[in-house]
Amino acid sequence: MRKPLALKIGISGVRGVVGQALTPQLISSFAAAFGSHIGRGRVLVGTDSRPSRDMVRHATISGLLSVGCQPVDLGILPVPALQLHIRTIGAFGGVCVTASHNPIEWNALKFFGADGILLRPAQAEELTDLYHQGVFPRIAGPDIPEVLFDDTAIESHLQSVLASVDADLIRSRRLHVAVDCCNGAASRATPQFLERLGCRVTAIHTDPDQPFPHNPEPIPANLGDLCRTVRDTGADVGFAQDADADRVAVVNERGEPIGEEAGLALAVLRRLEVEPSPVVVNMSTSRMVDDVAALHGCIVHRAKVGEVNVVEKMLAVGAPIGGEGNGGIISLRTNACRDSFVGMAILLEALAARGCSLSAFRSEVPTYSFLKEKITFPAREVATALRRFRERYSGQEMDLSDGVKVTWPDRWVQARSSNTEPIIRVLAEAPTDPEARQMVDEAFAALSG
Amino acid sequence: MRQLKIGTSWVRGVIGDAFTPELAIQFACAFGTYCDGGSVVLGRDTRRSSPMLHAAVQSALISTGCRVIDLGVCTTPLVSHAARRHGAAGGISITGSHNDAEWNALKFLGPTGSLLNAANSEELLDIYHASAYSFSGWDGLQRTVLDDGAAESYVDDLVHDLAADAITARRYRVAVDFSNGAAHEVCGRFMKRLGCELVPLNERPARRFSHAPAPQVENMRQLEAVLPYVKADVGAAINVDGDRAGFVTHDGRALSEEVALPLVAAHVLARRPGLVVTNLSTSRMVDAVAARHGSTVLRAEVGEGYVMDRAALEGAVVCGEGCGGVALTPQSATFDALQTLGRVLEAMALSGATLADLHSSLPALAMRKSELACSPDRVYRVIEAVRDEFDDAEVNEADGVRLAWHDRWLHVRASNTEPIVRIIAEAPDKAGLEELFSRADTAARRGASGFGRTEHGAVGQAVRSGKP
Repeated sequence: MRKPLALKIGISGVRGVVGQALTPQLISSFAAAFGSHIGRGRVLVGTDSRPSRDMVRHATISGLLSVGCQPVDLGILPVPALQLHIRTIGAFGGVCVTASHNPIEWNALKFFGADGILLRPAQAEELTDLYHQGVFPRIAGPDIPEVLFDDTAIESHLQSVLASVDADLIRSRRLHVAVDCCNGAASRATPQFLERLGCRVTAIHTDPDQPFPHNPEPIPANLGDLCRTVRDTGADVGFAQDADADRVAVVNERGEPIGEEAGLALAVLRRLEVEPSPVVVNMSTSRMVDDVAALHGCIVHRAKVGEVNVVEKMLAVGAPIGGEGNGGIISLRTNACRDSFVGMAILLEALAARGCSLSAFRSEVPTYSFLKEKITFPAREVATALRRFRERYSGQEMDLSDGVKVTWPDRWVQARSSNTEPIIRVLAEAPTDPEARQMVDEAFAALSG
Repeated sequence: MRQLKIGTSWVRGVIGDAFTPELAIQFACAFGTYCDGGSVVLGRDTRRSSPMLHAAVQSALISTGCRVIDLGVCTTPLVSHAARRHGAAGGISITGSHNDAEWNALKFLGPTGSLLNAANSEELLDIYHASAYSFSGWDGLQRTVLDDGAAESYVDDLVHDLAADAITARRYRVAVDFSNGAAHEVCGRFMKRLGCELVPLNERPARRFSHAPAPQVENMRQLEAVLPYVKADVGAAINVDGDRAGFVTHDGRALSEEVALPLVAAHVLARRPGLVVTNLSTSRMVDAVAARHGSTVLRAEVGEGYVMDRAALEGAVVCGEGCGGVALTPQSATFDALQTLGRVLEAMALSGATLADLHSSLPALAMRKSELACSPDRVYRVIEAVRDEFDDAEVNEADGVRLAWHDRWLHVRASNTEPIVRIIAEAPDKAGLEELFSRADTAARRGASGFGRTEHGAVGQAVRSGKP
């Protein structure tokens, strides 16, 4: 099989391996294309903590300047803080230099519009077209704007999040919280955020100048350090953020990951008990959310996978709460994006309101066996593989809006191509482990032909 | 017409037109590859487009595994000095130098702090043309280092090499026109150390320059007007990146930019006779000065890279060009306006003479520099037309054509930086100059006009047959 390319240009932005496909020239051109797309105004530029951040940031700034945008350099900060700040200062848009949960050799640009929301698929397509045309409306040397610096975004974001929950209630409980910042973009912000919620904080991996201590994706396999810390210090709860702090994983008081799907379900549960409303999650999110919504008589809408698709649907159906099962919690009250700070605040509020342990809170929601697997596929073979998968399950209830999702009364299996990597993801959820495993095995067999 | 020129040791262009961040990135990637991931000193001038190129170049250098030593806004001689002091693999000065505000350029310096010579530039261009960049993986990327001590260390070296006590004792007042460029901060330190009072003009960055930034007489009108009023002992115009200087006397008379080299050479050779290197277009004043001290003058092709390279090769004492760029070798590795200003002050201080006195001791020659707009495809027709106009001269075709007689000379060459042909003539007096110049100018215009041009391009032939 052909070696997968180390570059991915899609609706999530442009993403690649540093030293291979992600060159300064490509980044500068993409930034120039983005500047042409959103117009000659202020554009916020922030980064996560990857060692390649300066290389990418400088190239981005050069491209923006060349088409007459005024970059506002925010330094290292969580991506939700950048997204919120776009609206706060009325910028034309923003660029975040982050490959999010991808390993350290990757980096990427995420693009946001004036509403602080990731570019919609149609806008992202226009951006890609502009990039491919390769001719940008450059401005003359004497007209190039000055680069501005702004270090207020983190504080203003923290204040917004603190104001969105019952902070006094949380403070009254003096919870002990362990947190793993993965030496990422939230390394400085998260400990002080939790302290301002009256928590006793045990923070690990909080030096953004050090490489990631482990793969930054907040999935159980990468939570070893956090689980140990929770057990050793007797913390009430543990949180792990990814490199750009949009996603959060949760560990219970026994030092066990509760699973990234459960974090969203519990946050939704808390929001619905305060304020019943429609909920939006993506196609690949656990049925736990449906159970939680049913408890409060609320409707669940399903959107295509991808933050922007979920946010769009939330705005369309008027759902203030939603997210993605991978640990991405979205509350429109605060921010139109996945925000780990929002997630932590809501979960701490729920614990404070209940006065119980996290595992007791977790048991309010039923458990399923949820498997997420992936199989590497070159882009050109993806469609054929998905067709084989679809044919294998013909006659079953099927949703084709994002890959192929096959649903039975108590289980489902989905195969979809990744937006960010040359792989097909296979997800299966069923009442028991063997049942879920069997669905994944069948799916792999069908995809491979 | 797109405005981009790639020359020995630099790439230069109009920003927003041909000169984009991507182009700067490609060149800086080539340079980072050429430097093999070593340290690279980076500085920029005050142009509005310089931060953009600075970001582009920094990104590219980081991507090729280089450690950037960033000086921020500074002069080219300062980049050169810091490159030597740090033992860096090279340096890049981002500056359009004497060009207009629309232009900008990258100047590439080697480990010795001098502009890349022709051979090294070719190697750099080969990497660029082949796009053979060696990018570093994430774990080989270096954090940028800021060097706040660069200016102080540079000024230390300048001052230690001068008769600083003699200058300090005179308590000179020096008016300097910075052309809205990068030299203000470092010149302030320098003047302070020499006990001089600095009267700055156009010292702040500006979107458009207050005047064209080359230190020529027509760009020193403000200094001329201000000098008697502020009672300064000397006035100096320094270009945007601080490598060229022009001078104004205390009574408000701007001197030709050709004067800087013979002025400094007269002072330096009196104490340390030795070889002088200049270019084919520079006034013969320096020949007369050298002859007084039993020294010789060598002429290289036009361009700092050629002149400095030759000076280093031949072990010259002083070198420079008629544009106002002067260097003492081996003290400086690039032309250096502060070095030049320091030597002029030293000459005044040690002799007690005014700048006007020093100037009057130089031989008086009549010189004219002129430009003729000329598309690149006509340049050689112009040069041939002028060459064939005269048949009694000694001909040098190293750079355009230079025709020399025992007491006069004429040089016609294509500009390195703009789509023009330069015609430079010098003679003992005005009448002789006008006669020489008008003959050359008429011939050049005939060549440029395309008289006798045919579809198939038998142009040279036709021009020759049109000879009177």
